[in-house]
Amino acid sequence: MAHRLEITLKSGLFDAEGEGVRRKAGRYFGIALESVRTIQILTIDAALTDRQAETVRTEIFTNPVTQVSAYTPLAIEFDWCIWVGYRPGVKDNPGATAVEAIEDVLGIRFSSDQGVYTSRRYCLKGKKLTQGRVERIAAELLANDIIQQVRVYAKDEWDPAEGIGMVIPRVRLDHRPTLTTISIESDAVLKQISDQRNLALNDNDIPVIRAYFNDPSVQARRRAFGLAEPTDVELEYISQARSDHCNHNTFQGLFKYTDTGTGKTEIVDNLFKSYIEAPTLALAKKKDWVVSVLWDNAGVGRFDDSHYYVITGETHNSPSNMEAYGGAITGIVGVYRDPLGTGKGSRLVMGSYGFCVGHRDYDGDLSPRLHPRRLLDGVIEGVRDGGNKSGIPTTFGQVVFHPGYMGKCLVYVTAVGLMPAVVGGFPADQKATSPGELIFMCGGRVGKDGIHGVTASSETFSEHTPAGHVQIGDPYTQKKMHDFLLEARDLDLIRFITDNGGGGLSSSVGESARDSGGCEVWLEKVPLKYEGLDQWEVWVSESQERMTVAVHPDHAEAFLNLSKKHAVESTVIGRYTDSGVLHITYEGKTCACIDMDFLKSGFPQWEFDAQWRSPQDRGMIEPVIGEPSDYGALLLDMMARPNICSKEWITRQYDHEVQGGSVIKPLVGRYRDINSDAAVIRPVLTSERGLVFAQAILPWYSAIDAFHMTACTIDEAMRRMVAVGGDPAHIGGVDNFCWPNIGYHPEKNPDGKFKAAQLVRSCRALAETCLAYGIPLLSGKDSMYVDGHLPGAYGETHKVSALESLQFSAIGVTADINACVTLDLKVPGDRLYMIGETRDECGASEYYDRFGYVGVNAPRVDAARFLPRYTALHAAMGKGLVSAAHGIYRGGLGVHLAMMAMAGDLGLAVDLDDVPSDSGMRADKILFSESAGRMLVAVAPEHAAEFETVFSGLPLACIGTVTEKPVLEIRAGKTKPLARVPVSKLKTAWKKPFGGLI
Amino acid sequence: MKRVRALVLTGYGLNCDIETAHALELAGADATRVHINAVIDGSTTIDDYQIMVFVGGFSWGDDHGAGVIQAVRMKNNAGERLTRFVEKGNLVLGICNGFQTLVNLGLLPGLDGDYQRRLVALTFNDCGNFRDDWVHLTINAQTPCVFTRGLDRIDLPVRHGEGKFIADDAVLDRLVSGNQIVCRYALPDGSPAAGAFPENPNGSVIDIAGICDPTGRVFGLMPHPEAFNHFTNHPHWTRINQQIRRGLADPQSRPVTGIRMFENAVRFLGS
Repeated sequence: MAHRLEITLKSGLFDAEGEGVRRKAGRYFGIALESVRTIQILTIDAALTDRQAETVRTEIFTNPVTQVSAYTPLAIEFDWCIWVGYRPGVKDNPGATAVEAIEDVLGIRFSSDQGVYTSRRYCLKGKKLTQGRVERIAAELLANDIIQQVRVYAKDEWDPAEGIGMVIPRVRLDHRPTLTTISIESDAVLKQISDQRNLALNDNDIPVIRAYFNDPSVQARRRAFGLAEPTDVELEYISQARSDHCNHNTFQGLFKYTDTGTGKTEIVDNLFKSYIEAPTLALAKKKDWVVSVLWDNAGVGRFDDSHYYVITGETHNSPSNMEAYGGAITGIVGVYRDPLGTGKGSRLVMGSYGFCVGHRDYDGDLSPRLHPRRLLDGVIEGVRDGGNKSGIPTTFGQVVFHPGYMGKCLVYVTAVGLMPAVVGGFPADQKATSPGELIFMCGGRVGKDGIHGVTASSETFSEHTPAGHVQIGDPYTQKKMHDFLLEARDLDLIRFITDNGGGGLSSSVGESARDSGGCEVWLEKVPLKYEGLDQWEVWVSESQERMTVAVHPDHAEAFLNLSKKHAVESTVIGRYTDSGVLHITYEGKTCACIDMDFLKSGFPQWEFDAQWRSPQDRGMIEPVIGEPSDYGALLLDMMARPNICSKEWITRQYDHEVQGGSVIKPLVGRYRDINSDAAVIRPVLTSERGLVFAQAILPWYSAIDAFHMTACTIDEAMRRMVAVGGDPAHIGGVDNFCWPNIGYHPEKNPDGKFKAAQLVRSCRALAETCLAYGIPLLSGKDSMYVDGHLPGAYGETHKVSALESLQFSAIGVTADINACVTLDLKVPGDRLYMIGETRDECGASEYYDRFGYVGVNAPRVDAARFLPRYTALHAAMGKGLVSAAHGIYRGGLGVHLAMMAMAGDLGLAVDLDDVPSDSGMRADKILFSESAGRMLVAVAPEHAAEFETVFSGLPLACIGTVTEKPVLEIRAGKTKPLARVPVSKLKTAWKKPFGGLI
Repeated sequence: MKRVRALVLTGYGLNCDIETAHALELAGADATRVHINAVIDGSTTIDDYQIMVFVGGFSWGDDHGAGVIQAVRMKNNAGERLTRFVEKGNLVLGICNGFQTLVNLGLLPGLDGDYQRRLVALTFNDCGNFRDDWVHLTINAQTPCVFTRGLDRIDLPVRHGEGKFIADDAVLDRLVSGNQIVCRYALPDGSPAAGAFPENPNGSVIDIAGICDPTGRVFGLMPHPEAFNHFTNHPHWTRINQQIRRGLADPQSRPVTGIRMFENAVRFLGS
């Protein structure tokens, strides 16, 4: 018999969650509610005695000070009531911890078909509520129908005795695991099966797959194992391994690049090898701090003699686009497994985010599955819970609003870890599997969730995309596993470790077995969430919070005991061999037998036509704008633009201080509310060394040329690092590409060739800029299908593609955190210097965008010329000459003067005539051009001469003075200033758009 | 001299164990991180220690109320050992999730020596969300609390979603009259926050940030003293440094770090 416990706050207490719902209903939909009270529901599907039920109610689930509860529906008044519960099979984290607590208190064990399911009731009061309005609140605020079920009750429909009834979303499959063989009699048949099963096999791969299975020697060996035609396990495995997500076919592709202006055609064979691997290997030879790159789950650099840092970045776009909270939390928790699975394992020390979404106040005709506002809310909360509950500080993050992300949002998540340089006498960054070692699966269990996640992210989102791959990450389970595995590492129990992400076991076991040269996997040993999964599902499921670990048989017992102490499930599911084949069995019967080298040989390279047309050839021109006269109003409007304004509400939700090593926080300044250029942490608490970290995303410039977008993005990341005290000689990079589909199709993707050319140009800029700055690419990923088809007003659909986007992350080490610098102006009388030149480069700027223009003069990076000025600034900081420093980024000089003034709550008097700029440049362009390579520095008058000496021969100009009175005064030589704006007004404008959000 | 031994709990989603152990070491203690299960199964004897710290984090994911399941597990499996530990004159500190656990265990407020009764609660912030920010605290000069001796004001970070302190008026009166309210949220000038957001970040009644038991040896607080273990943790450190370097501020004006609380504990036990 099941028990349904309802719990709510005592009536006099403030219901913060209910109040949040009330506020959002009013703000988002204009629906006025008087009050909202929330009720937590636990449906305990286990036979408890009345006494047991009462014990858990009082001992665990009811706080005597704040809550009331009952096993009957609570009589909370409402006009309408909304009930929201999970659909079967959706991860219910509080349900799982409730089981743990009940088992402990009652001293019982739940059987596999018993469980606890959580849900919620919202009691709404309001005069003008209608069924339609309440359903809107349910559907667009409280629940997402792909993971949740909803019921709406009017006051007179409610049965006070029955309440919601007894809803038990237990998964019942009633299915016997079945192995199916698949006919490969012709390419057409295999193609058809690929479509039916959603395998997403590439047409060019199909003959190769058939040739393998038709090879007489392969057939002979297969016969010995009782196999003939390929099994579903085998084809699903090949499909996963060959997906663009796992195999990066696009970046390894062959590009025929034609410049239509010159008519010249070049062949670029493999973007990854040419533009990522080659420069990184060249730089790794020069930079002795590069420890391990290009093969493991994350890149490794040296922090000090006894510690290495580890970094990687990921995206989780498609799942977040469908279920924002679930997708984002799965994304951040997932990327945290990468450092954990790098080398022998790393402790996570930092995370960051980058969200790209449509405009929050979008009210046009397109109907994305989730409105950008709701999507952003969900993504923010997902990364919040994923990061905070993992105990990892989220020290940096950015948000970009652009209509192109309505088709598919971008959710970038980046993870930084720290490992000891040596474990058990061997370098900790090295690992390999050997024959005889046991394959352990640790952490979560396997269910149907996540099946075909990788193939789905390798496709454009459409209304037919299966929703089944949406998951909800479980940071609690993963944190326990993290602590366990690090202790196991320090006891030298781990030979090899990797995470289960895209492709699940098929990827983690398949790839790790290459070292030893083969493996045996016993699929029936894999712990399942529920019975009834087919063998292929167990093999490719992407159920989260799992790591695959190789353990020597002599250490198996110690490993299992430690796992038990940490309350983590670990299971032997096979062993590594040197048989040359990946051999999978289920209850002794072979389900798959594939040569280890099959996936790395014989598959054709993907081919792309890339056609570049210059902005001029595309008819792009500079807009004709007369000079503004009201600079004060213009500046205030610029401060309030969504891509400039304060997003403090997001930052404050993220724990950025856990682990106790915060040095430069995401918000700094006198009132702790202005974004810092970069983050600095002290990951080894006994050391004065620091890790410096920054990111940049500047997709707008792709509208002109993705080459400049890329160069500017890297330059911004570089300047951010230098601004806080990062050493330009030690900066590692992580490239995360998110690109719209580049495969040409005359109707479906008519500009595919152009987007392919943009990718080639972007990669070239990446290689050139990184080589010039000396930034090895420690890690990187790509997500290649950032497009969506959105319904319009008349039932028609529109393809919406994102701008070609790159998030560039930079990481470095500073030898002395005490020398770090923040942007806030600190002392009146300080001189304000500008490093670099301002050019007529307003193309795709925030300024032009204010008027709906793109223009054509995108900012250009001359890395070889810029680098010496960054090196000089670093030297000046080392001498203690710098009082404040800040890069000039999106929005240009005007906006970033304001940032420094607001941060310090001091004024600035600036003369634009002193700004080194192209001759004849107008004040508006000087103020809002987004030229790269520029920084602002405040220097005490007594240090001015020495500071200028450090910069001799480099572009440097004193452009103003810090003033006591908090007013930003901008003049252009003339006696009358162009603008005199109180800093408080600037801040009010900057905070206004999202200031009411918490 | 024998060093004071401190036990720092870990496991089940707790996450401030490393920096808390570091803070204790800086204060001169020997700190050991011990898994909750090692306490429960007795493989670690808590009587070998003089300070026990319930650290911050998300034990059991904060599901079913922050600190609730940790308290249930500890009470169910080690309840008597804990009470004995306190009664022997040892120190217990609960920070954030640890504070939430102590109030759910009943170790706080411990009125009339009853270390089992739940009389106060830490519930959802009025702002409706998790919040990370620095707060100003004023310390009650009359409190018996061992950890705050000699402190009158301190800045510390808060990072929680459930930090709103609630108790009924009778309990509050007892806490006030017994000087068990150790620290309160304040405005920058040290005057009471009086509920003002964000200085009082969660809506706690009478700005309560931390309380102790009547002996002053059990202390719980929402802010994180262990996260202010170095001058550079302070949000204004670059400003203060610049002013000191320019002769605009007294080098002695550097803010007191949270380590002082741990030093007080070590000093108390060593005396």
